[in-house]
Amino acid sequence: MGRGVTPDGPRVLLVDDEQAILDGLAPFLERSGLVVTTATDGLQALAAHAGAPADILVCDVLMPRLDGRALVRRLRGAGDWTPVVLLTQVGASYERSAALEEGADDYLNKPFDPQELLARVRAVLRRAVPGQPSLAAADVLVCEDLRVERGARRVLLAGAPVPLTPKASLLLDYLMTHPGELHTRERLLQALWGFEQPVATRAVDHRVAEIRRVLGDDAAAPRFVETVQQHGYRFCGTVRRGAAA
Amino acid sequence: MTGGRAVTAAAAGVVLLGGSAAVAVAVAAPSLRVVVTWYPAAVLAAGAALLAGTLLLVATLRARAVRTRDRAQDAAHAAGREAERAAHRRFLARLDHELKNPVTALQAAAAGLEPDPDDGPRVRAHATVRGQSARLAALVADLRRLAELEVRDIEQELVDVAEVVRDAVADVVDQQTARGLARPDVVVTLPTAPWPLPPVRGDVDLLYAAVTNLLVNALKFSPPGARVEVRGSDEDGTVVVEVADTGPGIPADEVDLVFDELARGRDARGLPGSGLGLPLVRVVAERHGGRAVLRSRPGSGTSVRLHLPAAAG
Repeated sequence: MGRGVTPDGPRVLLVDDEQAILDGLAPFLERSGLVVTTATDGLQALAAHAGAPADILVCDVLMPRLDGRALVRRLRGAGDWTPVVLLTQVGASYERSAALEEGADDYLNKPFDPQELLARVRAVLRRAVPGQPSLAAADVLVCEDLRVERGARRVLLAGAPVPLTPKASLLLDYLMTHPGELHTRERLLQALWGFEQPVATRAVDHRVAEIRRVLGDDAAAPRFVETVQQHGYRFCGTVRRGAAA
Repeated sequence: MTGGRAVTAAAAGVVLLGGSAAVAVAVAAPSLRVVVTWYPAAVLAAGAALLAGTLLLVATLRARAVRTRDRAQDAAHAAGREAERAAHRRFLARLDHELKNPVTALQAAAAGLEPDPDDGPRVRAHATVRGQSARLAALVADLRRLAELEVRDIEQELVDVAEVVRDAVADVVDQQTARGLARPDVVVTLPTAPWPLPPVRGDVDLLYAAVTNLLVNALKFSPPGARVEVRGSDEDGTVVVEVADTGPGIPADEVDLVFDELARGRDARGLPGSGLGLPLVRVVAERHGGRAVLRSRPGSGTSVRLHLPAAAG
């Protein structure tokens, strides 16, 4: 069971230096059953969170005084594992992997559909275990004999390194840090490829096929990546943090 | 201009002197046997040859300097084009930066409002705000994607272009039929003899997106049921993929504009599209070290060729 399902609903701290965005999103999230407080920069957010801890932070990246990534580093440095969804400003894939490496739990590119933000927030809250770092912050992910050394960008199966293209590695990483969650092809394209043309959803299928081939995973009886008919993909194995190499 | 004239004058002088020296040498050569006896003449001839050689060397250096200057001018032009593209990218980045927050705010505000379902005009106005802000959001995202694509690292796998073409055709045909449209007539010709298309090094997803865009364009601008031809060929280390239609074609004064962002032809205004399809094709081709070339005749049709360097080895 996830955290934060208090009688008043999960508490969200929404952080953005654009007041118009706070003004629009806050009522939307509240109508969707969340309790929302707002801050306009990282320092204000830290102060608000210290006063009344939030269950999740939704945080812009580029902000005055203390930006979103620095905010995540401060929290994690202090042993605070409250989930964070970053609203990335720079859409480059560099930004996406940097967001994950610094311990953010998920991210969305601006501009985004508010419904998609709500879906991300709910998924992250479902996964989160209070007081514990999420898989997104782990350096090593393990599922059965599959081991992903994220810092070293290595994937090992039964102890032997396997060759995966960068895109397939990124996809495997994303699926493993969000296990048990259904991801549509469109969402995966947006999160990992940075574009969402519906015609390109085959790109996701190709990379899943590559992951299965390299990992020897049987699509009919998957140990790792499961196809959810008509919808998308889900990592079906049990993922845990591994000991550092 | 003075410099140019001086060079010309110097060159003429060299030719003249060089010619005299040649004559002098020619005169002197038969008398080499008598060099010892007619020393002053030999010294004169040798001196003239030396002078001519020196002047020729100077002229050669001058000419090389001119060539270097021309090359420098070419380099300056190339640098100018690159600077222009960089300025364009900076503009797109600023536009993206300045638009994304207002568009996010619009989407958030629209999502936060729930009009009374019985209030028809408000329901319609709300739908307009939601729909149009979503459209703006998609445009901003596409523009950013394009600007990013010009500079970010792309994958460098070996890509089977023939497979990309077959996949793209199958997907576009499926999409058209899934939307209830007539099954499009797409004829694909890919070589098998004397050899199939060689692979290209690059990003399979981007190449797929480029070919798909060309196909979607060709079908969009063709009358229902008209044939679209897709041809692959390999010429001197270049893989060429051509997508050709018999649509209305593009007026000559618009052909040079179609690869620019947001450019939409007069005849395309009634059709859906963002004006970012062909720019994407251009950027994908360029990032693979190739180019996209469009030929069109109003009333006959349009062909776009993707030229992509074949992978070495």
